[in-house]
Amino acid sequence: MAEGKLTQTGGPGITVTRSREEGLEGEILTVNFGPQHPSTHGVLRLVVDLDGEMVQGVRPVIGYLHTGIEKQMEALRWQQAVVLTDRHDYLQPPINNLAYALAVERLMGVEAPLRAQGLRVIMSELTRIASHLLWLATSGLELGAMGIYFYCFREREKVLAMNEEISGFRMHTSYIRPGGVSGDATERFLEMLDAFIEEMPGNIDEYEALLTDNPIWRARTRGVGVLSADDAIALGATGPMIRGSGLPWDLRKRRPYSGYEQYDWEVAVETAGDCYARYLVRVKEMRESVKILRQALDRLPDGPINVDERKMLPPPREELETSMEAVIHHFKLFTEGYSPPPGDVYVGVEGARGEHGVYAVSDGTHKPRRVKFRSASFVNIQSVEPMSLGSMIADMIAIIGTVDTVLGDVDR
Amino acid sequence: MGDEWIAVPREAIRETMTDLKDQGYASYVFMTCVDHLATPLVEPPPERFELVYQLRNMETGHELRVRVYLPESDPRAPSVHDIYRPANWDERETYDMFGILFEGHPRLTRILMPEDWLGHPLRRDFPVGGEPVEFSEDYEAWQTAPPEA
Repeated sequence: MAEGKLTQTGGPGITVTRSREEGLEGEILTVNFGPQHPSTHGVLRLVVDLDGEMVQGVRPVIGYLHTGIEKQMEALRWQQAVVLTDRHDYLQPPINNLAYALAVERLMGVEAPLRAQGLRVIMSELTRIASHLLWLATSGLELGAMGIYFYCFREREKVLAMNEEISGFRMHTSYIRPGGVSGDATERFLEMLDAFIEEMPGNIDEYEALLTDNPIWRARTRGVGVLSADDAIALGATGPMIRGSGLPWDLRKRRPYSGYEQYDWEVAVETAGDCYARYLVRVKEMRESVKILRQALDRLPDGPINVDERKMLPPPREELETSMEAVIHHFKLFTEGYSPPPGDVYVGVEGARGEHGVYAVSDGTHKPRRVKFRSASFVNIQSVEPMSLGSMIADMIAIIGTVDTVLGDVDR
Repeated sequence: MGDEWIAVPREAIRETMTDLKDQGYASYVFMTCVDHLATPLVEPPPERFELVYQLRNMETGHELRVRVYLPESDPRAPSVHDIYRPANWDERETYDMFGILFEGHPRLTRILMPEDWLGHPLRRDFPVGGEPVEFSEDYEAWQTAPPEA
């Protein structure tokens, strides 16, 4: 669409081209949208071809947040690299940790103990709620619903306080590690979690009261950005994108990990495939996450939180004073690290935005040969163009919003 | 590790992918490259570059990995962007990071690195070192040195 004879140059970043398309009357305006636009969820740049207000072409330009995390992982030892996994998708650090931890555990041939699995599920679902809350808050702002922001951030703050209580950090928790978790849940954490589960369904009712039947919200989102089920598969869309198009695809159900098969919950599905359906899916997912949280908290088993494998995790402090072997293991672990046997694994987990996967290759040394993140945002953002062709530019804002990309995750 | 995989020669990639898609592997998960330069393995991989495609059957949940080895002297592979659409950006990323040329790709340009970047950062022989510091001791030296290829 951008081809055509350049006739005139407008202000900075605006090019006016004469279209060669048959039947088009007006001029095609090629506009740089971003990279610092408040509605682009980070530093996303879109080169948009406009015919009046009609979108005739969208080319996402990414890479502004590229930090070379995959390269840095190759320079760190297996147990050190976990801190980097927090930082690419900064809205769901525990889920990123979990995918990496599961991949390393499969390479090492160990499985986390049951209590660690329960805590992993709790942290994953908490962060899923927090991520959906941030999505709801910012997408509401973009479409003119200002009030929802304050409600969502009120609850997100509670999740961050729980992150701090259990791991010491509010955002980049590094809580889930290969072999288990970094620390046991404190009494205070369990109390906070219990109170959170109790009040959350009422809070979600509040969000729904603000938006679900709101005529402006419905007018802005219904029938906008329709993605059919076949297109969703062809474009590789996952997460709320594919479930909003009527496919009940959820890795927690279809390829369960970390004990998800033992909880009783439903996959949130909507059939319309538009922005409103994706909104409903995310709201329902928060409710289902609360259900999982309640069961995980009630059934949280006692026991160790780390695998009993001295080659992977340091021995308890008290053993160091009595056991020479413990000292040797401690020394070897912190000078050299551990070396998984050669091989490669792919582990995909259900993140807040879709399938978050880690492909890890070991060459038998103490550092990864290659770690690739299959990030949901990178794949989902490719569907912005087919969804917004022919729609108004204001609808494109709604579409970008409901795709829910995190640019740190796109660029990695 | 429990992951099933097949290895195919690069001439057969498009044929294999079309067949697998017809067999129900409708969902493309990801594609990437692994650089086996100076691998410490006793039985090293046949070539330096290895392309890895992960496909999934959404009916059964079954996953399959397709491996393709590419020689260092000729890192080219046919593009599969018209068979699996998400491969479009993955191929651009693999070109950007590893310098693998995908023949038939509509717009094989850099995607993550700046357009004027030299080299392919995820190759194992690309230094992690970072940028030279201005006003360091050998300021003159690096200013007059030719850019790294």
